Amino acid sequence: MKRISIIGSGNVGTNTAFFIAERRATDVLLVDIKDGVAAGKSLDLMEAGPVRDYVTAIRGSVRIDDIAGSDIVIIAAGRVRKPGERREDLYRDNAPNVRAISRDIRRLAPGAVVINIVEPIDLLTLLIQETLGVDRFKVMGVGGLLSSTRIRYLVSKALGVSPREVTGLIIGPHHPSMVFLRDTIRVSGIPAAALLSEPQLLQLIEDARNAGDTILHLAQRSTSYYAPSAAAAMLVDAIVCNTKALLPVSVRCEGEYGVQGLAIGVPAFVGEHGVARILQLKLSAADRDAFDRAAAALKAAHDSLAVGAA
Amino acid sequence: MTKNKVSIIGAGNVGATATYYIAEKVIADLVMVDIEGGMTQAKALDFLHAGPLRSYDVSIVGSSDFARIADSNVVVITAGLPRKPGMDRMDLLKVNAGIVKQAARAIAEHAPNALVIVVSNPLDIMCHVALRSTGFDLRRVVGMAGILDSTRFRYFVAEQLECALSSVHAMVLGGHGDQMVPLPRLTTVGGVPITELLDAATIARLVDRTRKGGAEIVALLKAGSAYYAPAASVAEMVEAVVTDRKHLAPCAAYLRGEYGIDDLFIGVPVILGKNGVERIIELTLTDDERKQLLASADAVRKGVEELNTFFKPT
Repeated sequence: MKRISIIGSGNVGTNTAFFIAERRATDVLLVDIKDGVAAGKSLDLMEAGPVRDYVTAIRGSVRIDDIAGSDIVIIAAGRVRKPGERREDLYRDNAPNVRAISRDIRRLAPGAVVINIVEPIDLLTLLIQETLGVDRFKVMGVGGLLSSTRIRYLVSKALGVSPREVTGLIIGPHHPSMVFLRDTIRVSGIPAAALLSEPQLLQLIEDARNAGDTILHLAQRSTSYYAPSAAAAMLVDAIVCNTKALLPVSVRCEGEYGVQGLAIGVPAFVGEHGVARILQLKLSAADRDAFDRAAAALKAAHDSLAVGAA
Repeated sequence: MTKNKVSIIGAGNVGATATYYIAEKVIADLVMVDIEGGMTQAKALDFLHAGPLRSYDVSIVGSSDFARIADSNVVVITAGLPRKPGMDRMDLLKVNAGIVKQAARAIAEHAPNALVIVVSNPLDIMCHVALRSTGFDLRRVVGMAGILDSTRFRYFVAEQLECALSSVHAMVLGGHGDQMVPLPRLTTVGGVPITELLDAATIARLVDRTRKGGAEIVALLKAGSAYYAPAASVAEMVEAVVTDRKHLAPCAAYLRGEYGIDDLFIGVPVILGKNGVERIIELTLTDDERKQLLASADAVRKGVEELNTFFKPT
């Protein structure tokens, strides 16, 4: 049975445990430095188990050492945005913590596949990979997958069809500059562009791009967490069952899409060891241009924040 | 919420396995009707005995009495003789038309508000039999073919690319026969058309294997034909109707001029919901695709003309 550790038992961490429990037989450990929080939430989840038929065992702990030997580690410990904040504003607050956690993972679970859900996703995913010093394909950030599920939902709603058959890939940073690959937005293979008007489709893409802000604006006191948790749980599924699902994730590129030494959102087949391979697509001139600009901005943020320097 | 009821006519391998898949979804009570009453009762009991372990809390009845389908939301017709090795679907026409007609008349009598899903082969022609013999609105009779052909195509693509089945979507149009029309440009991995991922020769091989998907299983089994994938396709359609899922998928639907085809059941993309075929999606086809679809339609039309030589709906 796979052992999964989730570091941080806030809304994202706990709901990731919840989505995993609803679907899989695994062993989940929730770790939080706040005394009792992880234990309390784990107990609450397990007490739902008899009614929900869980075959997953969820435990809580305050001790990071309990992650020893995990197959998958999910990092969900960090401050989230307040209304008006940009994702990159979180780097200075979250990086020291994430770096410390990465060192713990290196010490306790050096073989684990690591999933990052802490913002800013791309910069911290790179920081984690560099701190761990592991194969770049073993560290993935939840970015494009989250925007992908959002565009899939919005398109299905606009068309009055079920979302299960809707696809949509996103590349680029987890940032408003992300690039929606319009030709991949399809229903049962039929391009959404053949079923919706051009302005409708463009509006849906804008709505998906701003979905995180929309939820933050509506909820005020919390950022979105169901969809991010679902995205993390989906990666867990792909790893545990070695499905090789094609999913947009943030992963360190070494030449793919012309990016060198940065983690950024790209379509990848995900399996038991993390990214099995990155799918290199031919981009339209417009997408290429938008991606290059977004990647350059990410590089500038990376350099100005001196990511990686301890 | 009133409880849904789904009836399956024909409790052979396809009918019984479809019953099992639907039971596992826990969306409806189930009735299997078959002329072999004892065998049908036995299968129903066996499923019920498995219920405590599989956690499906639905009623499952097996019977030889058509009256048991009363008040069903959905009735699936799987009854018919299966294809034997070397046997053409058309060989089955006469004998299966009689069986489907009997089932359809029973549906009209006992479950006049039901939606009918036809599975018996030759599929597209049996849809005509069911439509005429029920006298139902043409959106309430739909054939299971495209979802099966697509799931086979999806599997072959996933196997070829070594990727997850769930990442692959496929579109297969036309009649449920050797002249079906798989559309590689609308067959995707995560939305990326396989035409960008595989070379033309590989795609041609997968298309050919899809066309012969049923025959490949028949040849392997020697006695019998495929039933897991067909039953799974039935369950997918039943779920779309019972849960009003608005599932966009290829199904055999009655065309009235769409795609330049009139008065014929053939596989096209539809939106499947509680009212049956709620919308037919008319794709812009390439000249070649259109030619293939029309050729497939011609083959189905020939079968319907053969049917007309002997068939009386009532």
